[in-house]
Amino acid sequence: MKKGKKVIIITIGLMAMFLATIIFIQFKTVEETNITDIENMRETELREQLSGWKTKYEETNQKLEENLQKIAEYENKVDKNEETSELLEKELDQTEILLGKVNVMGEGVIISLRDNDEYEITSADLLDLINELNYAGAEAISINDVRILSMTDIVDVGNTIIVDGQRLAGPYIVKSIGNQTYLSSTLSLKETGFIDKYNNSGKSVTMEKSDKVVILKTNKETKIKYLKEVVQK
Amino acid sequence: MKNKKKVAITLGVVCGILVYSIFLQINTIRNFNSMVADTNTDEDLRNQVLKWKEKYDNKYEEFETSEKKLSQIREFSTQDSDSATQTEQQIKMNNMILGLTDVKGEGVEIILKDNSEVTADSISALDSIEYYLVHAADIASIVNELKNAGAEAISINNQRVISNSSITCEGNVIKINGEKIGSPFVIQAVGSPELLYGLARPGGYIELLNDTGVIAQINKKEIMNIPKYTGVMNYKYCRIYE
Repeated sequence: MKKGKKVIIITIGLMAMFLATIIFIQFKTVEETNITDIENMRETELREQLSGWKTKYEETNQKLEENLQKIAEYENKVDKNEETSELLEKELDQTEILLGKVNVMGEGVIISLRDNDEYEITSADLLDLINELNYAGAEAISINDVRILSMTDIVDVGNTIIVDGQRLAGPYIVKSIGNQTYLSSTLSLKETGFIDKYNNSGKSVTMEKSDKVVILKTNKETKIKYLKEVVQK
Repeated sequence: MKNKKKVAITLGVVCGILVYSIFLQINTIRNFNSMVADTNTDEDLRNQVLKWKEKYDNKYEEFETSEKKLSQIREFSTQDSDSATQTEQQIKMNNMILGLTDVKGEGVEIILKDNSEVTADSISALDSIEYYLVHAADIASIVNELKNAGAEAISINNQRVISNSSITCEGNVIKINGEKIGSPFVIQAVGSPELLYGLARPGGYIELLNDTGVIAQINKKEIMNIPKYTGVMNYKYCRIYE
């Protein structure tokens, strides 16, 4: 009896020690699995960067091809001593589209911001949204049909918002053309996305997708007074 | 007899825990292996990123050369006709406004700096180090005010502000046009120096920033060079709509 008890105690003791060791090892590996998380994060970040450079490469390549073609066309005309006005007009048109002087249509999202009893939409809200849309790769944006361009300002004056010198009143309908999936997923990220963030803080914001967003051209002439050309050598 | 049962149960429980631990252990070891594999793909990915960046850099250089050549041949082919020269000038001006060419002119330069004299230890518990750092939102507000004051071209640390530029903050990093920038932030704006200098008015944004803790300066400049946007502008989703 006494002998049996001793054996059992020793067995249990050994087992307990074994167990303790395993638990320690376990703790160690758990610590290291945290590193795996960071490692994974790095991987997604790297993948993002990779696809970013690839896209930039493709876009630049495409523009380069276009340029080379234009150069060839000009050279051709010059050789034959022909008019280049058609080519010029085509190039001018392309810059005018980018300058917002033409109505455009395409896939995208439409966001509505409304004043409610607690909260009135301000210029800061609209600036925040425009910034988010641009981050998500928007190609064209308008607020209540006023086109947003590179030097468009959005400011509060009294109770109204002035965009590009034009007085706007709510509801504010922000239209944006671009990759619909990027635009909508960036804005509707849980908690941190624009829609959730604003609705959680009591502001009335909704988003809808549309395959035919129409954005009107700017109705202002861009005048230049101070910009000067840098002559390239 | 009763004692034996107790011992058996204890042993049983201990064994159970042990088996469970071993399973857990095996599981983490598996993860561990996949982690080693991940590091390999990481290495691979890193190399690929570098490779594509280099490919892009080379392509961009080619693209820049083609831009120069195009503008030369455009100018050359139009020199004999007045109307053609006018169109050529218009294209040039449009590209300047778009941010696709380098420009220069008078205006103001604003410098925003993190207040480096303040550290987490040197401020009181009620204060926050956050107030002494420049945020993406501060830069965005300054840019909006400059546009309001009639700026014709703006750059932030030599990154041109174009129609679809975004100023964002990811963790501690501020990004514009997808490029990381850091303090000091130099914002240059071409336009009427008098109007642009209005940002320095009492109660204006520059004063506000100085009051909250960051270092903000504004100076009129007679001549500044603002570089072009380093990328291409392209419409992939927009179509002309009559």
